[in-house]
Amino acid sequence: MPINPAAWKVGLDHYLYLSSLLFVFGMLGVLMRRNVIVILMCIELMLNAVNISFIAFSRYAENVNGQVMVFFVMTIAAAEAAVGLALAVTVFKKFREVNIRFFEHLKG
Amino acid sequence: MLSSQDFLFYFLGALSLIFGLGVVLYRNPIYSALCLVITMISVAGIFATLDAWFIAGVQLIVYAGAVTVLFVMVLMLFDLKHEMKTFSKGVIGNGVKLASSGVLLGMFSTYIWATYATEPTFKPMAAGATSSIKATKDLATSLFTSYLFAFEVIGLLLLVIAVGAVTLSRITGGTHHHAD
Amino acid sequence: MGKDGLEITLNIVKMLVIFLVMVQLVPVLVWLERRVSAFMQNRFGPNRVGPLGLIQLLADAVKFLFKEPFFPEKGMAVMYYGAPIMALIPGALALAAIPLGTPFHLEEADWNLFGFIPLGHHPAYDFILQGYDFGVGIVIVLGVSSLGAYSLLMAGWGSSNKYSLLGALRASAQMVSYELALGLSLVGILMVFNTFSFYDIVAQQNPANPLTFNFLGTVHTMPWWIPNWGIFYNPLGALIFFCASFAETNRLPFDLPEAEGELVAGFHTEYGGFALLMFYIGEYGHMMVASALMATFYFGGYTIPYVSNEAVATFVSNTHHFLGAFDLSIHSNWAAFVTSLCFFVSMLVKILFFLLIFIWVRWTLPRFRYDQLMDLGWKTMLPWALFNTCLTAVWLAISHKPV
Repeated sequence: MPINPAAWKVGLDHYLYLSSLLFVFGMLGVLMRRNVIVILMCIELMLNAVNISFIAFSRYAENVNGQVMVFFVMTIAAAEAAVGLALAVTVFKKFREVNIRFFEHLKG
Repeated sequence: MLSSQDFLFYFLGALSLIFGLGVVLYRNPIYSALCLVITMISVAGIFATLDAWFIAGVQLIVYAGAVTVLFVMVLMLFDLKHEMKTFSKGVIGNGVKLASSGVLLGMFSTYIWATYATEPTFKPMAAGATSSIKATKDLATSLFTSYLFAFEVIGLLLLVIAVGAVTLSRITGGTHHHAD
Repeated sequence: MGKDGLEITLNIVKMLVIFLVMVQLVPVLVWLERRVSAFMQNRFGPNRVGPLGLIQLLADAVKFLFKEPFFPEKGMAVMYYGAPIMALIPGALALAAIPLGTPFHLEEADWNLFGFIPLGHHPAYDFILQGYDFGVGIVIVLGVSSLGAYSLLMAGWGSSNKYSLLGALRASAQMVSYELALGLSLVGILMVFNTFSFYDIVAQQNPANPLTFNFLGTVHTMPWWIPNWGIFYNPLGALIFFCASFAETNRLPFDLPEAEGELVAGFHTEYGGFALLMFYIGEYGHMMVASALMATFYFGGYTIPYVSNEAVATFVSNTHHFLGAFDLSIHSNWAAFVTSLCFFVSMLVKILFFLLIFIWVRWTLPRFRYDQLMDLGWKTMLPWALFNTCLTAVWLAISHKPV
């Protein structure tokens, strides 16, 4: 843990560490949780982490392309959340189960 | 001592990490969803510290105000009563997952440290750039000139998704289907 | 303390003051609602307790405070108690972003209490009558008011009551649907005024400039008795914004989720006493935000119609004998403060006018059924808001308004 105050000054690498940590948390959630909806939420968390790193780079390079990319990522993430939830509702209506291990053994 | 900008970053970063961990760890999925809301709001704050005010506002409106509301509504409609195991079974499986995530995090950190440890400071914003309408105008111009094709394709994608979501909600059949 | 410290402290104090203003304006509004609704229904309202019934609200507040706090048997404590708190936050945050008066510039001076007790020395400071001033005021206000859906959902779920849950889901679906029409109608105003910040929008509605339209190069100046307000630039957008803000605040004719007799009492069925009072404060706070936004975008904000801002400033600084003691032509700091106060009063008058319209409409129109409500939001208001955006864009292109 650096003691000198100069290392605490926030630079690009701090934002990137935060983004990677948040991304790994989301990834752990996708791998280890059983509820379909929570897996979708952890995917949203990963996309947010990526957004942070895009905006940090855009600010560092003084380029607006990073923000355009974030715009697209946000749109696609919202659309994917909507479709994922519609699918989850359909599956729930049919099977009354949202445990993802239940669906490993389906045939057909 | 920390400047206020730095303090804000550390505070919001800690908030987003703690509640991000809450999303992963809570047993009750509605608590997970509420932790996700707070994570989204703190990420919007982080965007604001990076001087991306318009994107921060859009994050609040779209993510924290609509997408997570949708998640919470769907979870409340599901109303899961039976006890459900939170995490996957199997110690070896979980161990492998944790180890691989740790390796990935290590790779990220090493790369960041190797590349950006020397000159990572942000240059101060140019004087006139605090007028946010100009930044938004740059964003909009870029969207409509350089990224026009992607923009139109995204519009088409949203249309397809809207039609698809409505169609999915009309599927009949299954264990609870009333034949009438 | 340094400039930074002073600014942070002042901002914190301002946000507290704005929150308290929001909370303290609620009893006045409830009194107004009861009297106005009574007069519309051809009866007297509460007029026994105190002059004109004004103390009635104090009695009601005390009654609310002493009610028995109960907790539903299988409710979840975090959600049940967190929901009323969550109801207050978006209203207060959004109200803090709206300028309630013109900023005034304090010269570097010593503070003297009553003219001879020294309090300290302060540097030159621009005091804005906003809690915080980001450049993107509109987007932040829209984002923060969309967080209001969470208090409904948390209240409905934490009550562990099926009727509450149903009411909460309906209310939040309604709020999210009408946010679209709200945001799109604001895009028209953004295009006309070409800025995100509230202060610039109000400055462009300065009464010193008459209302002018550029049409294909020729400039038509409207007669002096039509004020330079945003509603004349964007009338369809004003109508859509006003109607959508009724739906956002869950106010009649859109208040099916909290109507008595429909779903028991909707999402706040299981609440009583102080928690219910906080829900009402949140609802009236939302109404205040909607009125303030309506006044800022479409009715000139804090400017006084027919009187230019500079005229007010010169009038005030030529006033001698303010409150019998101050000579405002000498004390420039006090003159700036009193000028700002005039504009603040003007803004309050406009906000009260719109709140009166909210109350008036509540007791005039019948309630919408839920499917009619959703049809109206998605099939009527959203297309009209899109049409308004296109119309404004076409009109701006024709009129060559300088960007």
